[in-house]
Amino acid sequence: MVTLAKTPRVASTNAVVRRRVRANRIISGLSIAATGAGLFLLAWILGYLLFKGFTTLSLQLFTMDTPPPGSNGGLANAIIGSLLITGVGILLATPIGILAGTFLIEYGRGTKLAEVIRFVNDMLVSAPSIIIGLFVYQIAVAPVHHFSAWAGAIALAIIALPIIVRTTQDMLQLVPDALREAAFALGAPKWRVIVVVSYRAAFQGMLTGVLLAVARISGETAPLLFTALSNPSWTTSMSSPMATLPVVIYKFAGAPYQDWQNLAWAGALLITFSVLILNVVARSFAPRTRN
Amino acid sequence: MSEPHLSLQTIAPGASSGPLADPSFNPKISVKGLDFYYQTGHRALKDINLSVADKLVTAFIGPSGCGKSTLLRVLNRIYDLYPGQRATGEVLVDGENILAPNYDLTRLRAKVGMVFQKPTPFPLTIWDNIAFGINLYEKLSKPDLEARIEWALRKAAIWEEVKDKLKRNGASLSGGQQQRLCIARAIAVKPEVILMDEPCSALDPISTARVEELILELADDYSIVLVTHNMQQAVRTADFTTFMYLGEIVEFGQTEQIFSNPTQQRTQDYVTGRFG
Repeated sequence: MVTLAKTPRVASTNAVVRRRVRANRIISGLSIAATGAGLFLLAWILGYLLFKGFTTLSLQLFTMDTPPPGSNGGLANAIIGSLLITGVGILLATPIGILAGTFLIEYGRGTKLAEVIRFVNDMLVSAPSIIIGLFVYQIAVAPVHHFSAWAGAIALAIIALPIIVRTTQDMLQLVPDALREAAFALGAPKWRVIVVVSYRAAFQGMLTGVLLAVARISGETAPLLFTALSNPSWTTSMSSPMATLPVVIYKFAGAPYQDWQNLAWAGALLITFSVLILNVVARSFAPRTRN
Repeated sequence: MSEPHLSLQTIAPGASSGPLADPSFNPKISVKGLDFYYQTGHRALKDINLSVADKLVTAFIGPSGCGKSTLLRVLNRIYDLYPGQRATGEVLVDGENILAPNYDLTRLRAKVGMVFQKPTPFPLTIWDNIAFGINLYEKLSKPDLEARIEWALRKAAIWEEVKDKLKRNGASLSGGQQQRLCIARAIAVKPEVILMDEPCSALDPISTARVEELILELADDYSIVLVTHNMQQAVRTADFTTFMYLGEIVEFGQTEQIFSNPTQQRTQDYVTGRFG
């Protein structure tokens, strides 16, 4: 009787197992195919950039300014411009972003105000950058009647800000309340709990957020067209128009001159690989998986 | 450790007889008519009357949700962190009502330390974990600070294990070591009362035994309030035991009496494992 009862059960178990194995194969097959397609496109872009931009890569790229068509030149003015505008933009956005994220988690948690700010901030994360460019044009270019690197830095800061707020908020949220309670239970004042315990615990994640914001704004073009514009010669004055890599690429790639187009490819290669390196660095700082 | 010299009497909730009436009972904390409400309006503690003896161990036992952790969290007002939670009644520590709005929380927390259910080492070095609390209250010279840190770590029976790696991160220790580090951190600020919220529930049996030993040693110098799910732990460590159920104190008395000769049927049912 025992064997009689057992035989059909084993058979049906086998059928169930077979079905699961089949379903598993289909799902993992689809996942692998999707991953492959994504990676293929990425490799294609990087490979094409290398192929097109590599021939123009030379020391001259870093020492000479953008040339008029038909003459020798490099991207030095655009490289320094990108570094300055991105750097100033991040310096403006980081303290505000971190303090705002701190408010949302450490002070305003559960309040109506924090809910509203969080919602608006999430909307800003996906705001089209050209709108931000036009906005900054209205407040920082039109009133003074000239384009400036300052205006560009402000536009980029506005783009970076919501990203930093968001990551700071997410990372502080991961800090267990038990840790804060433990610090409060020792009699620590709130600011000390935030600085010594919360920031320390969330530091790597917050740093990653800032680096990702740098990566994001260093490739922005549209907001700079209305703000920093461009400049054919070397300048480090924040109150004058300034060249940046994305804007130079935009201008040179669309021009009918072969040497300009080559420079645009080289610039694209520079930006892409800087962003790639920055992302790799950011990942290496990212918080390890917790238990 | 010192044995309580008390008669085997008990009290019913709110009664003023039993150990509370014994002249040799020296209360460090007296709770009078305490009610506690969560944001939702849920009344989690109902008319709690209780005394915690000086330099002895008092255990709170009871099924999950009976309010024992809530009561513990009133004793250092840690619930204050969460807007909407409120306590009414009186909690006297050394005769002063800590629920009074003008009572200084920093002073309270210097006096009443806390150890949590899960070990909570700060993301700092072992050294800085201990120094954090000390630096809140005292500006010690380097050698004095060093001496204090060693004292606290020795007192928490973890010095031998960490003395060569004080600059390592506290999280690199094992769970049992982390919990003793947290106890050392609480002791380092020289409190008078230590609240422990199920301090062994995340620990393996060997670490649990070490922490229990530590509780017995610490009771020579500190008043200890221990919330535990483990009745054997209460028997092994506590001088007094409070049995709570649905936000009320059902019975309070010497541990031996609570477990061997309870006056209330519900206590009897709980300690013999008939429910909970």
